[in-house]
Amino acid sequence: MTIFRIVRRLPACLALLAGSAALSATAAPMGYKDSWMTMADLGPNWRELSLNYALTATDALGVDEAYMRSDDKQSTLDLSDLTYTRLLHRWNSADAQANLWFVTGIGEAWTHNRVTGISETRTMWSPGTQFDYETRRVYFAAAARLYRATGIDHDYGSVRGGFSFYETEYDETQPWFVLEARRMHDLSDKTEITPMLRLINKGLFIEAGVNNSHQPRLNFMYIF
Amino acid sequence: MKKIILFMLLAANLVAAPAYAATQTIKVDVNGMVCAFCAQGIEKKLRAMPQTKDVYVNLKRKIVAVELKEGQSVPLDTVKALVNDAGYDVTHIEAVGQTAQEIKAGIGKE
Repeated sequence: MTIFRIVRRLPACLALLAGSAALSATAAPMGYKDSWMTMADLGPNWRELSLNYALTATDALGVDEAYMRSDDKQSTLDLSDLTYTRLLHRWNSADAQANLWFVTGIGEAWTHNRVTGISETRTMWSPGTQFDYETRRVYFAAAARLYRATGIDHDYGSVRGGFSFYETEYDETQPWFVLEARRMHDLSDKTEITPMLRLINKGLFIEAGVNNSHQPRLNFMYIF
Repeated sequence: MKKIILFMLLAANLVAAPAYAATQTIKVDVNGMVCAFCAQGIEKKLRAMPQTKDVYVNLKRKIVAVELKEGQSVPLDTVKALVNDAGYDVTHIEAVGQTAQEIKAGIGKE
């Protein structure tokens, strides 16, 4: 393994060492000012680990490591990138909060095809946006992100909605049911549907479920 | 004449003085505080103040109470700015003569 490859893996290692894990489009993609957030979205065909730091109440810089695999398991992509997250607007009301986010990343994508044996490295950029709305009982989010490089288009879209089984107080663990539908262009022809159980306890956020291809999903988020 | 000047100086000082909390707890009504995962930023910011003794957060009532150490004071604007930095809007802020635990107990009885 070359030094370059080791450096390329460093962000993921740092995120893991920080006790992290990753996920995208699950909840707010950054924490409060001066906080670190680690996120994970883990499944057989899509794995993402990320870590970011909130420089201000609306801006965060981070690192991200993603692995994508086609349904036929023949094509894979490893992405290591630097990310920027911006809270474009937040609406606070007495009983609800809504947010509009902009996220972008730039980094190196390494693709491999098992059939042809061809591997290539390309620069990938990944701008995206997310809208979310939440009350103490209801949650909704829609996200879209472009994963583009020369000859690659793995655009991603997801919609999630859910409800809390009951209201809880600040110090209590709150259980949610969340249903997610997402598509990943050129990786899968199917819309992935995943019902998940979500547990939130202050700075810890965990989701687990099984998708319509009978694959497990685990999402994780931690703010410190 | 001296008394009049003294009175005027005192009055001017009162008008110009910042809104310091004379009592031991600052109670804040907060908009947008719907989830513990997000609201913990408020608690961490307020606990980081050296004057803070205790913090109480109630999602249902949308209130945050910051109890100060004995003899300490914090400008209300400072607390308001910290809540804003955590991503929330303050709709009302006041200094009250209760501890955070007394506020919690009072809400529990209602």
